[in-house]
Amino acid sequence: MKSYQYIIDYFENAPTIIQLVWVTIFIFFVAVLILTIQLKFLRSRLRKNEKTVAEYRKEYESDLITYLYAGNEEEEISAEQQIIIDKLRSCTSDDFKRRIIVSTLLRLRNDISGEMAEAIQKLYFQTRLISYALPRLKSKKWYIVAKGIKELKQFQVKEVHDEIVIHVNHHKREVRNESHLYLVSLFNFEGLKFLDDLQTSLSEWDQIQLLEVLQKFDDQEIPDINPWLKSENDSVVAFALKLAKIYNQFEVKDALIGLLSHHQKKIRVDAIHVLSHLHVVEAKDILKNNFDQLSEDEQIEFFKLLENLCETSDEPFLLAHTTHQNFEIKLSALKIIKTLAVEKFKSLKYFSTDADYVKIYEFLEYK
Amino acid sequence: MNTSTVQIILTIIHLLFFIYAFLAIASYVILAIISAIETKQYMKKNSFVNYKEILSSTISPSISIIAPAYNESLNIIENVRSLLSSHYVNYDVIIVNDGSKDDSLEKLIAAYDLVKVNFLINQQIHTKPIRAGVFKSTNPAFEKLTVVDKENGGKADALNMGLNISNNQYVACIDVDCLLLENALQKMVKPFLEVTEEKIIATGGVIRIANSCVIKNGKLLDVNFPKKWIEKAQILEYLRAFLLGRMAWSRLNGLLVISGAFGLFDKKIAIEVGGYDTNTVGEDMEIIVRMRRHMEEINQKYRVAYIPDPLCWTEAPDNYKTFISQRNRWTRGTIETLRKHRKIGFNPKYRSLGMLSYPYWLFFERLAPVIEVIGIVYFAILIALNEVRWDYAIAFIVLAYFFTVLFSVVAIFSEELTYHQYKKKGTGFKLLQISMLEPFVLHPFILYAAIRGNIDYYFNKKKKWGEMTRKGMAKSETN
Amino acid sequence: MSDAKKIVLAEDNSTLSLLLKFRLEKEGYKLLIAADGKEAIELIEQHNPELILTDIMMPFISGLEVISHVRNKLNLQTPIIVFSAAGQEEMVLKAFNLGANDFMGKPFSPNELVIRVKRLLC
Repeated sequence: MKSYQYIIDYFENAPTIIQLVWVTIFIFFVAVLILTIQLKFLRSRLRKNEKTVAEYRKEYESDLITYLYAGNEEEEISAEQQIIIDKLRSCTSDDFKRRIIVSTLLRLRNDISGEMAEAIQKLYFQTRLISYALPRLKSKKWYIVAKGIKELKQFQVKEVHDEIVIHVNHHKREVRNESHLYLVSLFNFEGLKFLDDLQTSLSEWDQIQLLEVLQKFDDQEIPDINPWLKSENDSVVAFALKLAKIYNQFEVKDALIGLLSHHQKKIRVDAIHVLSHLHVVEAKDILKNNFDQLSEDEQIEFFKLLENLCETSDEPFLLAHTTHQNFEIKLSALKIIKTLAVEKFKSLKYFSTDADYVKIYEFLEYK
Repeated sequence: MNTSTVQIILTIIHLLFFIYAFLAIASYVILAIISAIETKQYMKKNSFVNYKEILSSTISPSISIIAPAYNESLNIIENVRSLLSSHYVNYDVIIVNDGSKDDSLEKLIAAYDLVKVNFLINQQIHTKPIRAGVFKSTNPAFEKLTVVDKENGGKADALNMGLNISNNQYVACIDVDCLLLENALQKMVKPFLEVTEEKIIATGGVIRIANSCVIKNGKLLDVNFPKKWIEKAQILEYLRAFLLGRMAWSRLNGLLVISGAFGLFDKKIAIEVGGYDTNTVGEDMEIIVRMRRHMEEINQKYRVAYIPDPLCWTEAPDNYKTFISQRNRWTRGTIETLRKHRKIGFNPKYRSLGMLSYPYWLFFERLAPVIEVIGIVYFAILIALNEVRWDYAIAFIVLAYFFTVLFSVVAIFSEELTYHQYKKKGTGFKLLQISMLEPFVLHPFILYAAIRGNIDYYFNKKKKWGEMTRKGMAKSETN
Repeated sequence: MSDAKKIVLAEDNSTLSLLLKFRLEKEGYKLLIAADGKEAIELIEQHNPELILTDIMMPFISGLEVISHVRNKLNLQTPIIVFSAAGQEEMVLKAFNLGANDFMGKPFSPNELVIRVKRLLC
């Protein structure tokens, strides 16, 4: 008791700074204590959750499978199916359970096609799971909106098109991305219309995702991409260039040639790349006559185009660039000469004494 | 000197110590808060991502994994197999055998049916010459593999060779003995593709400690918490550094270092700045500082991104000797980098790089051990002179201790809320236990190693240069 | 039931596994389910099944490694059908090179799978 009193006295008589320090220590100590206890709970909750999720998942999995095999020809919904619908429906009001049900349905929905996939979709409506997804579109929190769109996309709910299309220019990347994916996943090339009035930038990542979705469709009838190639939005132009390449859009070659004078370098380079892929011979002379005005990246890309499209008449041009200061261009020029005119190539052995030139020449000679 | 002058000087010294300690603590608290905000956002955003699509897309950008190897004969076959099993379409693996004196190359040739090929190298960065040549596999299953055998030049030189050889857009520079999870490349390349308003110059990954974990055929089968104090304490240290420190710095776009053990770079920029510096032991930190400096100088908006997911696992030192030599090297790496780029320090032209990141590193990473030792020496003198105000001393020591513990516990908490890698029952207790003990079992050694690093840097030049060629390379996950 | 033909199914999507198990057992086969490549290899070594169905992307040991193990280490000619997600064409080619007999791209129709299984097992 006495030592206790001593501590109190000491504390009261200590300088303010010391008092302050001890108060802080006390706060830290309590914080550590609280966090420790919380940590204990958190860890056991996480462990338990994992187990409960697994249990529920197992239960809903078998419900789902039973449902899928319990249908018959005569009735729309068999008695056995109705029991499962009622059971699942009663679980949907619980957030935790509903999430597991949705993810179980989706896991199967994503991997199978045909009648069964349609049956799963029907179940999504019958259990009224959809009535939880719809209000999410109006939420104030961006990630709830995004999650809602994602779920409706996965269950292919076409009816909410109008509510989702308003998000294509949403200020949060994730929301716009999900809405783009929704449109394209459900409406195929038709869904790409959102590009017409896209004000935000479409990142590479978004573009790759959209192209992946498009490639899954059997119907590959692509709409006119000319307007997108002429879009004010540079990222839309970049995306249209990818479409032009993947779907071999030879008919847009004029728009592509127009892009050779686009204000963004990356787009000019990509345009050369696509023109080369489509073997548009006209592009060659335009670029060749303009070669010295091009940036180095464009020049390199142009030489790649030449590898595809060159003719004997290009020889003087190539020869002039075997001593270009850029390694790749030198390599390209010599490589093309070798395929175009082997005799000429042989005569070039001592054409230059530049170290890179010699290295490249020897490499090509061996090949 | 009369007593009053001494008094004044002493007061000033005390005040300086006090201000330093206060700033250090304040910066930790601020970083923890920022990291909490950033982590929350990252987790939310990441919950939407479908990595499957990018992995299978043939238009996903090309990546080269560059892994330098020096006398790694023991595990090289396994390690390469792990690197070849990444779930990404458009990538290749370049193993740079940096003048190994063992049978690494023979083993690789035999295991992967390698043959020497005629290979044209655009030598944009100067390196030591090729020794035995460039090899490719005749087996189509290993078509992604290229092995380069060159003369020894150290880790930075080997990485530069990889930069010269790669034909891809991005390069992942890693330690060959690292275990990469299969989806590591997808996750690391994402920032490059999704950010449109700034140029991403590099992405840094997290290093997790693989000691005691079950690894088979290059795959991580089970995560275990190791037994030795030194290993446990390093796990805690890495959690703090990666989940709290780097997460916050990435938010502030102030990352000055990404782990040499696993980072993804925009190859063009890496070559533009001249590749890795072969004259430092801290090449992983140095190249980032140089790339940042370059971007500031050409006045282009840029960012160093960071992915906190546990994607790269590596063995940490399990004995004090290796640990001390590792940290000694890190210290010298930091000093060298900061000295080489002292021009950016406190230079408003470099904006937050010069006014925030650099000063922070200088004061709280570079000088912290020095100031701590000065403090200890000063304290010892006071004891000798019987001048210690024990009530002050004890109160502040206890305060420092509890703050450290609290910070560690917050880091553990953050780990549990995000990745929860140590799932086993009882590990939570062990993590708490080590956060109480770490100030005693690890910190003194870190301090010792840092001081040794300083001494070696300033007074032992021979060692500084000698080690580079002799040791060739060593693990480098700088913290 | 002892003469029912045995099929090992390696698939990390447990719901899909369960669905296929029901479907194929209705056809009179005996299904052994593995959640990853490691379990699959254990089941194959233990039961020597008549047919193997395996996903390509699985945790720990991939479908490709399962095929390679069956063909090269165990030297078995058991028919193998692989499942692959869209865009894994390269992997499918590898699977065929390693000795897979057939493949089904996800999403697939369970009915179609049954037809292919019957064709390989008759």
